[in-house]
Amino acid sequence: MLTGVFSYLVFFACIVLILGILTLGLNLQWGFTGLFNAGIVGFYAIGAYTHAILTAAPQPQYLGNFGLPWLVGIVAAMAATAFAAWLIGLLTIRLRGDYLAIATFGIAVSIQLVALNWEPLTGGSQGLSRIPKPLAGVFDTPLSFNLWFLCLLAALVAAVYAALERILRSPWGRVLKAIREDETAAVALGKSARGFRLEAFVLGSTLMGLAGALYVSFIGFVSPFDFLPILTFQVWAMLIAGGSGNNRGALIGALLVWTIWSASGIAVTKLVPPSHAAQGAAIQVILIGLLLILVLLYRPRGLIGEAAVVSRHADD
Amino acid sequence: MIGQAIADGILTGAIIALGAIGVSFTLQIMRFANFAHSELLTWGAYLALVFVAFAGPGTPTGPFSFGWQLIAAAALAALLTGLVAWAVDYLVFRNLRRRGAHPLTMVFAAFGAALVMRNMVVLIWGHGSHYYTRELQMSVELLPGVRMLPDQIFILALALAVVVCLHGFLTYSRTGMAMRAMAESPPLAQVCGVEVDAVVRWTWILSGALAALAGVFAGLTPQLHPEIGFNLLLALFAAAILGGTGSLVGAVIGGLLVGLAENLSLLFISAGYKTAMPFLVLLLVLLVRPQGLFGEKA
Amino acid sequence: MHVTIRIAAALASGLLAFGEAAAQAACPVKIGGVLPLTGSMAPITKKIAQSAELAIEHINQGGGVKGCPVQFILRDDQGQPTVGVDAAKYLVEVERVPAFTGTISSGVTGPIIASVTAPSKVVQITCCSTASPFTLDGRSGGYFFRTIPTSKTQAYATASETTKRGLKKTAIIYVNTDFGTDMLRFYKAAVGKLGGEVAIEVPYNDNQPSYRAEVSKALAAKPESLLLIGFPKDAVTIVREWLSLGGTKNIALNNSMRTMDFVNGVGAKFVEDFFGMDNAQVAGPHVDAFNKAFEDKFKTDSKGPGVHTQYDALMVMALAMNIAKDLSGPSIKDAVRRVHVAGGAPVGTGPAEYKKALELIRAGKPIKYFGATGPIEFDANGDVTGPALVWKIKDGQIVTDRVITIEEMQALFKRIEN
Repeated sequence: MLTGVFSYLVFFACIVLILGILTLGLNLQWGFTGLFNAGIVGFYAIGAYTHAILTAAPQPQYLGNFGLPWLVGIVAAMAATAFAAWLIGLLTIRLRGDYLAIATFGIAVSIQLVALNWEPLTGGSQGLSRIPKPLAGVFDTPLSFNLWFLCLLAALVAAVYAALERILRSPWGRVLKAIREDETAAVALGKSARGFRLEAFVLGSTLMGLAGALYVSFIGFVSPFDFLPILTFQVWAMLIAGGSGNNRGALIGALLVWTIWSASGIAVTKLVPPSHAAQGAAIQVILIGLLLILVLLYRPRGLIGEAAVVSRHADD
Repeated sequence: MIGQAIADGILTGAIIALGAIGVSFTLQIMRFANFAHSELLTWGAYLALVFVAFAGPGTPTGPFSFGWQLIAAAALAALLTGLVAWAVDYLVFRNLRRRGAHPLTMVFAAFGAALVMRNMVVLIWGHGSHYYTRELQMSVELLPGVRMLPDQIFILALALAVVVCLHGFLTYSRTGMAMRAMAESPPLAQVCGVEVDAVVRWTWILSGALAALAGVFAGLTPQLHPEIGFNLLLALFAAAILGGTGSLVGAVIGGLLVGLAENLSLLFISAGYKTAMPFLVLLLVLLVRPQGLFGEKA
Repeated sequence: MHVTIRIAAALASGLLAFGEAAAQAACPVKIGGVLPLTGSMAPITKKIAQSAELAIEHINQGGGVKGCPVQFILRDDQGQPTVGVDAAKYLVEVERVPAFTGTISSGVTGPIIASVTAPSKVVQITCCSTASPFTLDGRSGGYFFRTIPTSKTQAYATASETTKRGLKKTAIIYVNTDFGTDMLRFYKAAVGKLGGEVAIEVPYNDNQPSYRAEVSKALAAKPESLLLIGFPKDAVTIVREWLSLGGTKNIALNNSMRTMDFVNGVGAKFVEDFFGMDNAQVAGPHVDAFNKAFEDKFKTDSKGPGVHTQYDALMVMALAMNIAKDLSGPSIKDAVRRVHVAGGAPVGTGPAEYKKALELIRAGKPIKYFGATGPIEFDANGDVTGPALVWKIKDGQIVTDRVITIEEMQALFKRIEN
């Protein structure tokens, strides 16, 4: 039935938009500021768990679970992530490119381990459940709820996109670009490179926290297994495939990479009998790896590359 | 307790150090983070397994669980893996370098290469575990409260020997000096007549060989599986960076510090946090010295 | 922009084509599956997927569902929740499966229940996900079942056995996942009531190259016995390191270790007298029939976590779908418990038994399914209880030491929980 396909596509689109917000956040950090953030999943986790802890239904064995309204959860998630990003940024912003990557990666691993081990607050390995979905009482069938959530996400993404475009054309955005292109010159003009970088880092991370909160209120369940490094890798692939330094590219990359990930899984079921499903799945992973290499070899600027060339100093 | 933790830490650290040396030099000489390095460990271990399958690990010699055949297999595997590393560079990374590709592109290409290499191991040898030898050694008590396996003492000794040889090579041989020159400053090195291609080739071969040794040692204690390299990847990078890239001593000290941090931390906190320890140490070091312990200031 | 439009068009037409194909015929009846075919669970999943394949083959040989052959659509969740959720949603919406089986990791099962199973009201039966809250807090609306007892059964049985053997000062090394923490919690509660003593608890995160640190920490508490809760691959590393560091040979294991992979991994001569717990595959003709069918088809033994429970999950699903008046979610949900009715005619494993069951169902007679894990009876929450068995390793073989019957289990539960 076509309604089934439509229903699946709506669900699929919701996931794509949530991943899109992650990619937009990363684009601000990498595409526009040249920060190699390999800890995406950590900020995603902070947003997700803050929202979960505040909005989930109270249970006696957990410290949190305050049952607060959805909007409070979203705002708090963004605030908590912003604060964490500010602290982390203070510590790590001055590190050079790949060092920043390993440092942020390690921080993300540590955040995931806290989620895994601090049971009274985060539910530990069992996770937190019964996270209320917004207006679930009004939209009580899966299709109607997913459609409503899709509209909500679309509006949010549009707002975030518009805001980002605006910010990047503003004086602040121009300084950011100047710093990325030629830091010495920008500093000579009296701009504090570090301050601007920190602001971009915090802003980008806040978007990631927002994505986390949205994810959790869409699915209704959160556990430490949602925040493994593979997701960081996927979001990076999305940005690169779509074109970094370009917000439209970020969203398109999210759509493209997630479609490939999902469709290749479907293809395996159609082409390979279940008895060989395991080998089929291994081949799927190999193909994804090869595809990535090919894109990088032949279209290194992604699908919609940024016109300007990124300076070699971007990762200093 | 502390004694045992230190002994364990040094042992884990030795394996990490061998792998980290390759990472450190690739980071410094070729200026990119090669996330496929861990797969060289895996491939090295499995290649040695192939040789062992022909000749057997040998009847246990002395207190060790293997005979000279395993050492020979390891040496052969080191050679082959060095060539594999060079081949991967030739096929994938060299092209990107020639086009002046962005370091990030290289990183991602490395990820892609790692996925392919790891899953090729799965396709060929399957998901399950393999073993060099079925013997189970009993540890000996070196000092009161400190126990180590004879195999592990051997690994430590061999790792030390390798590092000393490498140090000699880097200090006294022409290629070694060329590598160090490239590590400090590629343009200056070229001006002085250093052949970049040769240095790059040697860097890959050495990295691959060292990684293979690390892989064999890891596989010896106690089993091989396709993710053996991948599970060490972050520790390798943490060690290379905190030691300061481009420095042999740095990579070794970095590896030891990472191993010690993992083991000593359990004396105070829950083992559930153990895997975060390498990063915490890294962060602490970078806070104080952003270029790493023995690194050059940028 | 052109590229975008082209991509979108290709996507749309591709999915429409799938949708069309899925929509029309009532036959074949599709059953979905979500399992971690790749990722860290992959070594365990291989046999589980084979067991599923065997079940589908038997179902089709025995007559299928409502007169139609069954098509099994198995998707990989790669151990990642988002991928698993996407796969489950695809199976339910695009392939319109009336029911599906899956998955193993509770980090993936949880989101699937929350976002697909419960809202869409589709029956989900898992072979292997043991996290107790999934059935106990009503989150699935009654649509989630499992053919594996929760960790409670195993943990209580383990505690009973270790105290019976007089094991004192037990160190517990457990995998730091929901499975491990669940088992630990129930074990400690039981041991407290039964009179044992826990010397130290040490969690371990899986997929590490070495566990010497964890083992050393456990040994520092001078334990007289070890309870190891985890999975074979890392367990082999831990046990080897434990033994070589001079740890005691008084070792108790959980069900995942009941496989030759573990025995051979550590080395047959070193694991003599290790013992462990498992949910009882009650010996009997139906269990033997399954074991034989599995060995004949796949040329490997049928021991291993999830193998028997996966077979039962699919058989139960197919039987329920035949009993149900139609293939809607609520009908199948109500039919699941009618797979095992008091006083029903016993039916077992294999295509001939399945065929017999279909005839009984067609005649409106009640059946009582005895599966590869013995009698399958779901309680009010969708859990199965069952007898437990104590196994041990003797001369390099895994043998059953004794069975703890259902009555003994129930008495044990009473003793611990009152």
